[in-house]
Amino acid sequence: MTQTVPHRRTASRALLAAGLVASLALATGCAKSEDDNNASDKGSSSAANENAGQEVASPDGGKTCDIAAFGGEKADLKSATVGFSQSEKEANPFRIAETASLKAEAKKRGVKLLTANAQSQFSKQISDVQDLISKGADLLVIAPLNSDGWEPVLRAAGAKHIPIVTVDRKINATACKDYVSFIGSDFVEQGKRAADQMIEATGGKGTIAILLGAAGNNVTTERTKGFEDRIKEKAPDLKVVFKQTGEFAREKGQQVTEQLIQSKPDITGIYAENDEMGLGAVNALKGAGKKAGDVKIVTVDGTRNAVQGIVDGWISGVIESNPRFGPLAFQTLDSFTKGDKVGQDIVIKDSAYTKDNAESDLSKAY
Amino acid sequence: MSELTLGRAAVDRDRLLRLLQDYGVYLGVAVLLLVNIAFTPHFLSAENFRTQAVQVAPVLIVALGMALAIGSEGVDLSVGSVMALATSLISLYLGYGAWIALIAALVGGVLVGVANGALVAFIGVQPIVATLALMVAGRGLALVLLPQLKDVRDPGLRSLGTGDVLGIPYLVLIAAALALLVAFVVRRTTFGRQLLAIGDSRPAAQLAGLPVRRVLVLVYVLSGALAAVAGVLATARLTASDPTSLGNLMELSAITAVVVGGTPLTGGRVRIGGTVAGAVLIQLLTATLIKHDLPPSWTQIAQAVVIVLAVYAARERGKR
Amino acid sequence: MLSASSLSKTFPGVRALDGVDFTARAGEVHALIGENGAGKSTLIKVLTGVYQPDQDAGELSYDGRRVSFSTPLEAQHAGISTIYQEVNLVPLMSVARNLFLGREPRGKLGLIDFRRMHREADAALRELGVRVDVQRPLRELGVGAQQMVALARAVSVDAKVVIMDEPTSSLEPREVRTLFGVIRMLRERGIAVVYVSHRLDELYEVCDVVTVLRDGKVVHTGSLGDLDRLRLVSLMLGRDIGDVQDEGLTKFSGEHDAAAEPVLRAEELTARHQLHGVSLEVRPGEVVGLGGLLGSGRSETAKAIAGALPTDSGRVVVAGSPVRTGSTPAAIRAGISLLPEDRKAEGIVPGLSVRENIALAALPGLSRFGLVDEGRIDKIVDTFVKRLRIKASGPHQKVGELSGGNQQKVLLARWLAMNPKVLLLDEPTRGIDVGAKAEVQKLIDELADDGLGVLLISSDMEELIEGSDRVVVLKDGAVVAELTGDAVTEDRLMRAIAATPAGGPPVE
Repeated sequence: MTQTVPHRRTASRALLAAGLVASLALATGCAKSEDDNNASDKGSSSAANENAGQEVASPDGGKTCDIAAFGGEKADLKSATVGFSQSEKEANPFRIAETASLKAEAKKRGVKLLTANAQSQFSKQISDVQDLISKGADLLVIAPLNSDGWEPVLRAAGAKHIPIVTVDRKINATACKDYVSFIGSDFVEQGKRAADQMIEATGGKGTIAILLGAAGNNVTTERTKGFEDRIKEKAPDLKVVFKQTGEFAREKGQQVTEQLIQSKPDITGIYAENDEMGLGAVNALKGAGKKAGDVKIVTVDGTRNAVQGIVDGWISGVIESNPRFGPLAFQTLDSFTKGDKVGQDIVIKDSAYTKDNAESDLSKAY
Repeated sequence: MSELTLGRAAVDRDRLLRLLQDYGVYLGVAVLLLVNIAFTPHFLSAENFRTQAVQVAPVLIVALGMALAIGSEGVDLSVGSVMALATSLISLYLGYGAWIALIAALVGGVLVGVANGALVAFIGVQPIVATLALMVAGRGLALVLLPQLKDVRDPGLRSLGTGDVLGIPYLVLIAAALALLVAFVVRRTTFGRQLLAIGDSRPAAQLAGLPVRRVLVLVYVLSGALAAVAGVLATARLTASDPTSLGNLMELSAITAVVVGGTPLTGGRVRIGGTVAGAVLIQLLTATLIKHDLPPSWTQIAQAVVIVLAVYAARERGKR
Repeated sequence: MLSASSLSKTFPGVRALDGVDFTARAGEVHALIGENGAGKSTLIKVLTGVYQPDQDAGELSYDGRRVSFSTPLEAQHAGISTIYQEVNLVPLMSVARNLFLGREPRGKLGLIDFRRMHREADAALRELGVRVDVQRPLRELGVGAQQMVALARAVSVDAKVVIMDEPTSSLEPREVRTLFGVIRMLRERGIAVVYVSHRLDELYEVCDVVTVLRDGKVVHTGSLGDLDRLRLVSLMLGRDIGDVQDEGLTKFSGEHDAAAEPVLRAEELTARHQLHGVSLEVRPGEVVGLGGLLGSGRSETAKAIAGALPTDSGRVVVAGSPVRTGSTPAAIRAGISLLPEDRKAEGIVPGLSVRENIALAALPGLSRFGLVDEGRIDKIVDTFVKRLRIKASGPHQKVGELSGGNQQKVLLARWLAMNPKVLLLDEPTRGIDVGAKAEVQKLIDELADDGLGVLLISSDMEELIEGSDRVVVLKDGAVVAELTGDAVTEDRLMRAIAATPAGGPPVE
């Protein structure tokens, strides 16, 4: 058994390789998905919508930074090269919209953009950024996978006085020294606004379930904290009676909700910490024979599917977590390189979708 | 005299461990049912049992294939990725109709099985390493084929996930039929007998002239095909293809169901009834903890405790 | 130099060494021999500190002082070096590093002085007649050269005693010559050498003194030159020369009527380091014994015929048609069945029932469209359980729970269910009790009477001589003699084994 005849071994290896290649070719070559016939895919095209760019929620009050304080020389953004390092594979609407937005804005401004994707591996992100620097990036936009571990990159960038803007997650370093600014959402605030929507939908009375995000994730903790604090403060008659993780995935959201409506059939509302779990909850409610609106659902993110859910009546409200960092990031870099002051912490304004604006703003959703 | 009683005590302990390994899982299911009936509101309802059965169906189907792999003294870690691959292939081929998409998903599962089997049987790679490679490759391929979640609108496929016959969901019927089929294969076919012999003592099976390689390849092909079926059913139920998270950690749930069901990790024995009960046990355990809103981490800890108990019973018994 | 007196070592249930006296003197090459299970390796392990001898049972003395080694390292530091069959060095490190591993020459700063190390390593190897680039990694060397490096290492640590456990088993003849040169050199330097080998020719060439172990006891010790080969073989096997062939000691009836055409013909079977052109024939109704000492290639021959050992060349022909070698299923299809030596690991499937074990090989024939025909299996199992008198609580009892004899019968049943033409039996009665042994022997006899060709391997002299119509004698993987008719006696067999290679087979 162990002493396989050599030619046989190579034959079986060749067979294996051939099989894998053939299967790939087969899988991609003659594929025909459901909507190959009608129009293009959702998301990517609308992501670049000009009207859907970000606005600053707190433009003043915070600390600012300018090129004199940071070090380096003024330049013209138009002639510069910008490097963008994405953290995760563009496999969810948020990341897709984020990358698309940066690309679209670069194109619009005529700036040369280099991109890299770390595929959720931090070590790859570090080498990605170092690559971008060596390829001649004069400015960097980074969507960090982690908050820690950035010293080697910051040292390399600092030596060349390369300004860095981080988007959607902060890094543990000194603003205006190691990097210029952070542009991102306030997840606690998102939770609070979701609570406001929930209070409005339920009339401030009843029982609430929370579908938590992945454990140990700062987004999960902050969205939970904001929601619970606001409920306690504003609607003491609204009780959170159920908190289980749906791991940010639709399937888990559906399974947990199925258990929930068996044991607590009279639940008033469900707060899902992302759209996918909320859509899973909708699936579960449909399967249990509930009607649209029987259970109030509030979710966070603002994907097209969830906003459509509002239109259909299953979801009461969606708080947006705006992924379109392009306009704001480039605007910040532009001002900064011109020598103007820019904020160190730029919190962007997330909009919200309710039944009043869902239909009209559906095209804005990503 | 004292020696004699000591001997009897040892025999009794042995017998107890054997009973625990063989039937402990049924006892566990019974206990959980009783606890839930007593303490969980609205537990005794048709809808609730329907929910539990529907949720357990994909896990069970994957566990059936896993039981075969473990019975051959191997393991198949690629099952979760095969589910993801199947869901990607469905979306990719749904334009041709539900049947073609279904066949594409099954072919994907079979091909992964062939790759696993070839690595294990012909090249002699350890099953845990071979299937780990396909676990990584399979998920990667699934995401290349379909980079993000995509809704499934085909009414035929959607009804597969939600429809029923006389109140019994299709999912449950399919899982039950597959369990019976695999039990039959294990008990009544040449393949089943040869699989057990190979799992128990591969050198002996080899010297007895058994077609060891062919049997091993078939084991992984079946495991891959069953995982693909589970992927199809999960897709139909979710009404969406989600290659990023579908089937995540499925290999662990399946291994747990098999081991808790009394199939030893050392191979040579496959218990399908126990595997069904093992899957149900884990489902009930999870459901109990969720329904009582206990911290999610408890579910994982509880599962770990069950696994340790099952392996302990098997080990203690194996020592004698 | 190193001596043991009335040493005993007991493992649970087994007395591996029983009051052994052994003395290795300076400037003397001491052969340590014995068949499987005689206690050679246990003795070596006690001498080198791997095992501890039983409490209050004998003592070790070294260089005139009483000692006890609690670890192999202690023994090494005291000057006892061991060279095992498998070289245990670091293959990726250079030859020189290996030679000086753990005692590298240091320079002023405590760093390794590579230049000095390479120079000294080269000198040490040259002394042994080996010329290699000492800076190359060890694994690039041949097995023989690696063995030399191990030897050089052993010698250069100022060893006073060098123990060699079958050092020549993977060496080419030329390398063996070099090794013997080194051994003689060690002897001249006044080092005590303990040499373990099964190859009689080698022993007579380099050894001065011999100690023969059997069943954990010393049965002989003395000068090797005074002991002729035949006497040595008889001591090892525990049989007297000229022992009269007693009737009725075993259950074999003796002669069978052998047909003219051989049912099995093996031609020039060759497998590197194991078999060198082994040819033999078995006729229907004939029991052919395979004789020879441990390591002579008996099991390998059987495995090569059964397709379980890949061969480099040679042919196997069953009933006139050639069989593809290296494939167990092909051999089985042709009608060859092997009862392997290691019954527990390679024979039975312990977790399966008596019934499944018997039906295992015949299963495809007992199935229709891949479905097992339970009725036919029951019938066959029933037949063989009765015919072979298999004692089990029922057909569903696990085979692992049966006694050795009944396990062996289950295996026989498995093969008989295939209607084989040739049965290869490797130690069919080892480790089974006396009653069952007699039954199995009787069965073999009956099977041959029914027209099967049987190839019998047994370390039990009596069984081999009385059971076989013909005995093919193997030595170092080659056939050295064939005994037929009246020549099938223990006496002749031992003479054949003991024969000097140059003289050729002394018996016909």
